[in-house]
Amino acid sequence: MRSSKVAKRYARALMGLSNDHAQLEAWGAEIERLARIVDSPEVAAQLESPTVTHADRMAALGKIAERLDLSFPVRSFAVVVASHGRVREVAAMAETYARMLDDLMGRARATLTFAYQPSDEDLARVVAGLAVIAHKKIIPTNNIDASLLGGVVAELEGKIYDGSLATRLADAERRLSG
Amino acid sequence: MKARIAIVAALLGATLTPTLAIAAEGAGEEHGSWGALIFYVINFLLFVGILWKYALPAGRNFFKARALGIRETMSKADAAFRGAQEVANRAAERMARLEAEKNQIASDLADETVFQIGRIYDLGQEAAARIKRDAELSATALAENARRRVREALARAAGNLARELVVQNFKPDDQTRLLRGFVEKLGEEAGQ
Repeated sequence: MRSSKVAKRYARALMGLSNDHAQLEAWGAEIERLARIVDSPEVAAQLESPTVTHADRMAALGKIAERLDLSFPVRSFAVVVASHGRVREVAAMAETYARMLDDLMGRARATLTFAYQPSDEDLARVVAGLAVIAHKKIIPTNNIDASLLGGVVAELEGKIYDGSLATRLADAERRLSG
Repeated sequence: MKARIAIVAALLGATLTPTLAIAAEGAGEEHGSWGALIFYVINFLLFVGILWKYALPAGRNFFKARALGIRETMSKADAAFRGAQEVANRAAERMARLEAEKNQIASDLADETVFQIGRIYDLGQEAAARIKRDAELSATALAENARRRVREALARAAGNLARELVVQNFKPDDQTRLLRGFVEKLGEEAGQ
Protein backbone atom coordinates (compact mmCIF):
# COMPACT_ATOMS: atom_id res chain seq x y z
CA MET A 1 0.00 0.00 0.00
CA ARG A 2 1.60 3.18 -1.19
CA SER A 3 0.67 6.14 0.95
CA SER A 4 2.38 9.22 2.22
CA LYS A 5 1.47 12.49 3.84
CA VAL A 6 2.05 14.24 0.51
CA ALA A 7 -0.23 11.78 -1.32
CA LYS A 8 -2.91 12.26 1.35
CA ARG A 9 -2.72 16.04 1.06
CA TYR A 10 -3.11 15.95 -2.74
CA ALA A 11 -5.87 13.32 -2.63
CA ARG A 12 -7.76 15.34 0.00
CA ALA A 13 -7.39 18.49 -2.12
CA LEU A 14 -8.82 16.79 -5.19
CA MET A 15 -11.65 15.33 -3.17
CA GLY A 16 -12.46 18.73 -1.73
CA LEU A 17 -13.21 20.09 -5.18
CA SER A 18 -16.65 18.51 -5.35
CA ASN A 19 -19.47 17.09 -3.24
CA ASP A 20 -20.95 15.12 -6.09
CA HIS A 21 -20.25 11.45 -5.44
CA ALA A 22 -20.61 10.48 -9.07
CA GLN A 23 -18.12 13.11 -10.10
CA LEU A 24 -15.72 12.04 -7.38
CA GLU A 25 -16.04 8.46 -8.63
CA ALA A 26 -15.29 9.58 -12.17
CA TRP A 27 -12.24 11.53 -11.01
CA GLY A 28 -11.09 8.45 -9.10
CA ALA A 29 -11.19 6.37 -12.26
CA GLU A 30 -9.40 9.12 -14.19
CA ILE A 31 -6.62 9.55 -11.69
CA GLU A 32 -6.20 5.80 -11.57
CA ARG A 33 -5.77 5.75 -15.34
CA LEU A 34 -3.27 8.57 -15.09
CA ALA A 35 -1.34 6.73 -12.35
CA ARG A 36 -1.18 3.56 -14.45
CA ILE A 37 0.39 5.46 -17.33
CA VAL A 38 2.72 7.62 -15.23
CA ASP A 39 3.80 4.65 -13.14
CA SER A 40 4.68 2.49 -16.15
CA PRO A 41 8.46 2.01 -16.25
CA GLU A 42 9.14 3.65 -19.60
CA VAL A 43 7.06 6.78 -18.90
CA ALA A 44 8.30 7.03 -15.29
CA ALA A 45 11.93 6.83 -16.49
CA GLN A 46 11.35 9.67 -18.95
CA LEU A 47 9.49 11.85 -16.46
CA GLU A 48 12.06 11.37 -13.75
CA SER A 49 15.08 11.81 -16.00
CA PRO A 50 17.27 14.76 -14.99
CA THR A 51 17.79 15.59 -18.67
CA VAL A 52 14.09 16.47 -19.00
CA THR A 53 13.42 20.07 -18.06
CA HIS A 54 10.64 21.09 -15.76
CA ALA A 55 8.72 22.74 -18.60
CA ASP A 56 9.04 19.63 -20.79
CA ARG A 57 7.89 17.47 -17.92
CA MET A 58 4.80 19.63 -17.42
CA ALA A 59 4.10 19.63 -21.13
CA ALA A 60 4.45 15.85 -21.29
CA LEU A 61 2.07 15.35 -18.40
CA GLY A 62 -0.39 17.76 -20.02
CA LYS A 63 -0.27 15.73 -23.22
CA ILE A 64 -0.79 12.49 -21.35
CA ALA A 65 -3.80 14.01 -19.61
CA GLU A 66 -5.18 15.19 -22.90
CA ARG A 67 -4.60 11.79 -24.50
CA LEU A 68 -6.38 10.09 -21.60
CA ASP A 69 -9.25 12.50 -22.10
CA LEU A 70 -9.21 13.55 -18.47
CA SER A 71 -11.69 16.03 -17.15
CA PHE A 72 -10.54 19.59 -16.55
CA PRO A 73 -10.12 19.30 -12.77
CA VAL A 74 -8.03 16.14 -13.05
CA ARG A 75 -5.97 17.61 -15.86
CA SER A 76 -5.32 20.67 -13.72
CA PHE A 77 -4.50 18.39 -10.83
CA ALA A 78 -1.92 16.56 -12.97
CA VAL A 79 -0.32 19.85 -14.01
CA VAL A 80 -0.11 21.01 -10.39
CA VAL A 81 1.44 17.70 -9.40
CA ALA A 82 4.00 17.98 -12.18
CA SER A 83 4.79 21.61 -11.39
CA HIS A 84 5.54 20.62 -7.79
CA GLY A 85 7.79 17.77 -8.94
CA ARG A 86 5.54 15.12 -7.41
CA VAL A 87 4.98 12.96 -10.51
CA ARG A 88 6.51 10.00 -8.68
CA GLU A 89 3.74 10.23 -6.06
CA VAL A 90 0.81 10.03 -8.52
CA ALA A 91 0.27 6.29 -7.97
CA ALA A 92 0.21 6.79 -4.20
CA MET A 93 -2.21 9.72 -4.66
CA ALA A 94 -4.53 7.54 -6.75
CA GLU A 95 -4.45 4.81 -4.16
CA THR A 96 -5.07 7.21 -1.29
CA TYR A 97 -7.85 8.92 -3.23
CA ALA A 98 -9.51 5.57 -3.91
CA ARG A 99 -9.35 4.67 -0.22
CA MET A 100 -10.75 8.02 0.86
CA LEU A 101 -13.45 7.71 -1.73
CA ASP A 102 -14.28 4.19 -0.49
CA ASP A 103 -14.57 5.54 3.04
CA LEU A 104 -16.81 8.32 1.81
CA MET A 105 -19.01 5.94 -0.13
CA GLY A 106 -19.10 3.35 2.67
CA ARG A 107 -17.37 0.57 0.81
CA ALA A 108 -14.24 -1.55 1.27
CA ARG A 109 -11.92 -3.29 -1.14
CA ALA A 110 -11.16 -6.95 -0.62
CA THR A 111 -8.62 -9.13 -2.36
CA LEU A 112 -10.00 -12.63 -2.77
CA THR A 113 -7.69 -15.48 -3.70
CA PHE A 114 -9.46 -18.68 -4.76
CA ALA A 115 -8.02 -22.10 -5.50
CA TYR A 116 -10.31 -22.39 -8.52
CA GLN A 117 -12.27 -19.88 -10.52
CA PRO A 118 -15.41 -19.32 -8.41
CA SER A 119 -18.91 -19.35 -9.80
CA ASP A 120 -20.80 -16.06 -9.66
CA GLU A 121 -22.97 -17.49 -6.94
CA ASP A 122 -19.96 -18.50 -4.80
CA LEU A 123 -18.31 -15.12 -5.35
CA ALA A 124 -21.47 -13.30 -4.37
CA ARG A 125 -21.78 -15.41 -1.25
CA VAL A 126 -18.22 -14.67 -0.14
CA VAL A 127 -18.59 -10.95 -0.89
CA ALA A 128 -21.82 -10.88 1.12
CA GLY A 129 -20.08 -12.59 4.03
CA LEU A 130 -17.30 -10.02 3.97
CA ALA A 131 -19.85 -7.20 3.79
CA VAL A 132 -21.38 -8.53 7.00
CA ILE A 133 -18.02 -8.35 8.66
CA ALA A 134 -17.02 -4.91 7.33
CA HIS A 135 -20.51 -3.38 7.43
CA LYS A 136 -19.60 -1.89 4.09
CA LYS A 137 -20.16 -2.60 0.44
CA ILE A 138 -17.33 -4.84 -0.77
CA ILE A 139 -15.44 -4.26 -4.00
CA PRO A 140 -13.65 -7.54 -4.68
CA THR A 141 -10.45 -8.14 -6.61
CA ASN A 142 -10.15 -11.79 -7.56
CA ASN A 143 -7.01 -13.91 -7.87
CA ILE A 144 -6.47 -17.61 -8.50
CA ASP A 145 -3.83 -19.64 -6.64
CA ALA A 146 -3.99 -23.43 -7.12
CA SER A 147 -1.63 -24.01 -4.19
CA LEU A 148 -4.54 -23.18 -1.88
CA LEU A 149 -6.03 -26.58 -2.94
CA GLY A 150 -9.55 -25.35 -2.16
CA GLY A 151 -11.46 -22.56 -0.42
CA VAL A 152 -10.51 -18.90 -0.38
CA VAL A 153 -8.23 -16.37 1.32
CA ALA A 154 -9.66 -12.88 1.71
CA GLU A 155 -7.72 -9.75 2.60
CA LEU A 156 -9.99 -7.01 3.88
CA GLU A 157 -8.94 -3.75 5.52
CA GLY A 158 -5.57 -5.15 6.51
CA LYS A 159 -6.96 -8.38 7.92
CA ILE A 160 -6.57 -11.85 6.41
CA TYR A 161 -9.49 -14.28 6.53
CA ASP A 162 -8.08 -17.68 5.59
CA GLY A 163 -10.58 -20.34 4.50
CA SER A 164 -8.20 -22.32 2.30
CA LEU A 165 -7.82 -26.07 2.35
CA ALA A 166 -4.03 -25.76 2.26
CA THR A 167 -4.07 -23.88 5.56
CA ARG A 168 -6.46 -26.39 7.09
CA LEU A 169 -4.19 -29.25 6.06
CA ALA A 170 -1.14 -27.39 7.39
CA ASP A 171 -2.96 -26.86 10.71
CA ALA A 172 -3.89 -30.53 10.87
CA GLU A 173 -0.30 -31.48 10.07
CA ARG A 174 0.96 -29.17 12.82
CA ARG A 175 -1.51 -30.64 15.32
CA LEU A 176 -0.47 -34.15 14.36
CA SER A 177 3.21 -33.43 14.82
CA GLY A 178 2.37 -32.06 18.29
CA MET B 1 114.52 -24.04 116.65
CA LYS B 2 117.49 -26.12 115.58
CA ALA B 3 117.87 -27.35 119.12
CA ARG B 4 114.26 -28.26 119.26
CA ILE B 5 114.63 -30.19 116.03
CA ALA B 6 117.67 -31.95 117.39
CA ILE B 7 115.89 -32.91 120.60
CA VAL B 8 112.92 -34.14 118.68
CA ALA B 9 115.21 -36.14 116.40
CA ALA B 10 117.02 -37.66 119.42
CA LEU B 11 113.81 -38.51 121.12
CA LEU B 12 112.51 -40.02 117.90
CA GLY B 13 115.67 -41.99 117.56
CA ALA B 14 115.51 -43.23 121.11
CA THR B 15 111.89 -43.98 120.84
CA LEU B 16 112.08 -45.71 117.56
CA THR B 17 115.07 -47.81 118.55
CA PRO B 18 114.12 -49.31 121.90
CA THR B 19 116.06 -52.46 121.18
CA LEU B 20 119.23 -50.39 121.04
CA ALA B 21 118.47 -48.82 124.40
CA ILE B 22 117.83 -52.16 125.95
CA ALA B 23 121.00 -53.58 124.47
CA ALA B 24 122.98 -50.64 125.81
CA GLU B 25 121.96 -51.56 129.27
CA GLY B 26 123.58 -54.87 128.49
CA ALA B 27 121.11 -56.90 130.23
CA GLY B 28 119.33 -59.96 129.11
CA GLU B 29 115.78 -60.47 129.67
CA GLU B 30 114.55 -58.71 132.79
CA HIS B 31 111.04 -59.20 133.93
CA GLY B 32 109.06 -56.78 136.16
CA SER B 33 111.60 -53.93 136.11
CA TRP B 34 110.01 -50.49 137.01
CA GLY B 35 112.69 -48.66 135.13
CA ALA B 36 111.86 -50.43 131.96
CA LEU B 37 108.25 -49.79 132.53
CA ILE B 38 108.78 -46.13 133.15
CA PHE B 39 111.03 -45.99 130.14
CA TYR B 40 108.38 -47.56 128.06
CA VAL B 41 105.76 -45.30 129.50
CA ILE B 42 107.83 -42.21 128.94
CA ASN B 43 108.75 -43.48 125.56
CA PHE B 44 105.16 -44.08 124.84
CA LEU B 45 104.06 -40.73 126.16
CA LEU B 46 106.73 -39.04 124.12
CA PHE B 47 105.50 -40.93 121.15
CA VAL B 48 101.94 -39.96 121.91
CA GLY B 49 102.98 -36.36 122.52
CA ILE B 50 104.84 -36.21 119.25
CA LEU B 51 101.89 -37.70 117.54
CA TRP B 52 99.56 -35.33 119.34
CA LYS B 53 101.72 -32.34 118.51
CA TYR B 54 102.56 -33.01 114.89
CA ALA B 55 100.80 -35.91 113.39
CA LEU B 56 97.35 -35.29 114.83
CA PRO B 57 96.88 -31.73 113.42
CA ALA B 58 98.25 -32.83 110.11
CA GLY B 59 96.01 -35.85 110.16
CA ARG B 60 93.14 -33.77 111.35
CA ASN B 61 93.72 -31.27 108.61
CA PHE B 62 94.11 -34.04 106.11
CA PHE B 63 90.90 -35.70 107.17
CA LYS B 64 89.12 -32.36 107.44
CA ALA B 65 90.21 -31.54 103.90
CA ARG B 66 89.39 -35.01 102.86
CA ALA B 67 85.96 -34.78 104.49
CA LEU B 68 85.40 -31.45 102.85
CA GLY B 69 86.43 -32.88 99.50
CA ILE B 70 84.23 -35.88 100.05
CA ARG B 71 81.35 -33.65 101.08
CA GLU B 72 81.89 -31.47 98.02
CA THR B 73 82.14 -34.52 95.85
CA MET B 74 79.04 -35.91 97.48
CA SER B 75 77.26 -32.61 97.06
CA LYS B 76 78.31 -32.50 93.42
CA ALA B 77 77.29 -36.08 92.99
CA ASP B 78 74.00 -35.32 94.69
CA ALA B 79 73.47 -32.29 92.46
CA ALA B 80 74.42 -34.35 89.45
CA PHE B 81 72.07 -37.07 90.61
CA ARG B 82 69.28 -34.57 91.12
CA GLY B 83 70.02 -33.07 87.70
CA ALA B 84 70.04 -36.49 86.15
CA GLN B 85 66.85 -37.32 87.95
CA GLU B 86 65.31 -34.12 86.72
CA VAL B 87 66.42 -34.86 83.18
CA ALA B 88 65.05 -38.36 83.57
CA ASN B 89 61.79 -36.95 84.90
CA ARG B 90 61.62 -34.52 82.06
CA ALA B 91 62.37 -37.28 79.61
CA ALA B 92 59.72 -39.45 81.19
CA GLU B 93 57.32 -36.54 81.13
CA ARG B 94 58.10 -35.93 77.46
CA MET B 95 57.74 -39.61 76.76
CA ALA B 96 54.37 -39.55 78.46
CA ARG B 97 53.43 -36.45 76.51
CA LEU B 98 54.68 -38.03 73.30
CA GLU B 99 52.56 -41.05 73.99
CA ALA B 100 49.53 -38.88 74.64
CA GLU B 101 50.34 -36.85 71.55
CA LYS B 102 50.72 -40.02 69.52
CA ASN B 103 47.40 -41.26 70.84
CA GLN B 104 45.81 -37.89 70.04
CA ILE B 105 47.24 -37.95 66.51
CA ALA B 106 46.07 -41.51 66.03
CA SER B 107 42.64 -40.53 67.30
CA ASP B 108 42.55 -37.46 65.04
CA LEU B 109 43.65 -39.54 62.09
CA ALA B 110 40.98 -42.10 62.83
CA ASP B 111 38.33 -39.35 63.09
CA GLU B 112 39.56 -37.70 59.90
CA THR B 113 39.56 -41.03 58.12
CA VAL B 114 36.00 -41.71 59.22
CA PHE B 115 34.98 -38.21 58.13
CA GLN B 116 36.72 -38.55 54.77
CA ILE B 117 35.17 -41.95 54.18
CA GLY B 118 31.74 -40.51 54.97
CA ARG B 119 32.38 -37.55 52.73
CA ILE B 120 33.60 -39.72 49.86
CA TYR B 121 30.57 -41.93 50.34
CA ASP B 122 28.23 -38.94 50.30
CA LEU B 123 29.95 -37.50 47.23
CA GLY B 124 29.75 -40.87 45.55
CA GLN B 125 26.05 -41.14 46.36
CA GLU B 126 25.47 -37.62 45.10
CA ALA B 127 27.42 -38.23 41.89
CA ALA B 128 25.58 -41.48 41.32
CA ALA B 129 22.23 -39.77 41.85
CA ARG B 130 23.22 -36.97 39.51
CA ILE B 131 24.42 -39.38 36.84
CA LYS B 132 21.20 -41.34 37.21
CA ARG B 133 19.11 -38.18 36.99
CA ASP B 134 21.07 -36.93 33.97
CA ALA B 135 20.77 -40.31 32.30
CA GLU B 136 17.01 -40.33 32.94
CA LEU B 137 16.65 -36.81 31.59
CA SER B 138 18.77 -37.61 28.55
CA ALA B 139 16.83 -40.79 27.93
CA THR B 140 13.54 -38.93 28.30
CA ALA B 141 14.71 -36.17 25.99
CA LEU B 142 15.98 -38.67 23.45
CA ALA B 143 12.75 -40.61 23.58
CA GLU B 144 10.69 -37.45 23.32
CA ASN B 145 12.81 -36.24 20.44
CA ALA B 146 12.44 -39.54 18.65
CA ARG B 147 8.68 -39.50 19.24
CA ARG B 148 8.48 -35.93 17.97
CA ARG B 149 10.44 -36.81 14.85
CA VAL B 150 8.24 -39.81 14.22
CA ARG B 151 5.14 -37.66 14.74
CA GLU B 152 6.51 -35.03 12.39
CA ALA B 153 7.38 -37.61 9.74
CA LEU B 154 3.93 -39.19 10.07
CA ALA B 155 2.22 -35.82 9.96
CA ARG B 156 4.23 -34.80 6.93
CA ALA B 157 3.42 -38.05 5.17
CA ALA B 158 -0.25 -37.73 6.11
CA GLY B 159 -0.29 -34.12 4.91
CA ASN B 160 1.30 -35.03 1.60
CA LEU B 161 -1.12 -37.90 1.16
CA ALA B 162 -4.06 -35.67 2.00
CA ARG B 163 -2.89 -33.06 -0.50
CA GLU B 164 -2.55 -35.66 -3.22
CA LEU B 165 -6.00 -37.01 -2.44
CA VAL B 166 -7.47 -33.52 -2.47
CA VAL B 167 -5.84 -32.68 -5.79
CA GLN B 168 -7.08 -35.94 -7.31
CA ASN B 169 -10.61 -35.90 -5.94
CA PHE B 170 -11.50 -32.25 -5.50
CA LYS B 171 -14.81 -31.31 -7.14
CA PRO B 172 -16.63 -28.03 -7.69
CA ASP B 173 -19.13 -29.06 -5.02
CA ASP B 174 -16.30 -29.32 -2.54
CA GLN B 175 -15.22 -25.78 -3.35
CA THR B 176 -18.81 -24.56 -2.89
CA ARG B 177 -19.01 -26.39 0.43
CA LEU B 178 -15.71 -24.88 1.59
CA LEU B 179 -16.83 -21.38 0.60
CA ARG B 180 -20.12 -21.86 2.38
CA GLY B 181 -18.23 -22.92 5.51
CA PHE B 182 -15.99 -19.87 5.13
CA VAL B 183 -18.97 -17.55 4.90
CA GLU B 184 -20.53 -19.19 7.95
CA LYS B 185 -17.36 -18.55 9.89
CA LEU B 186 -17.39 -14.94 8.77
CA GLY B 187 -20.98 -14.70 9.99
CA GLU B 188 -19.98 -16.16 13.36
CA GLU B 189 -17.12 -13.69 13.60
CA ALA B 190 -19.46 -10.82 12.75
CA GLY B 191 -21.87 -12.01 15.44
CA GLN B 192 -19.22 -12.03 18.17
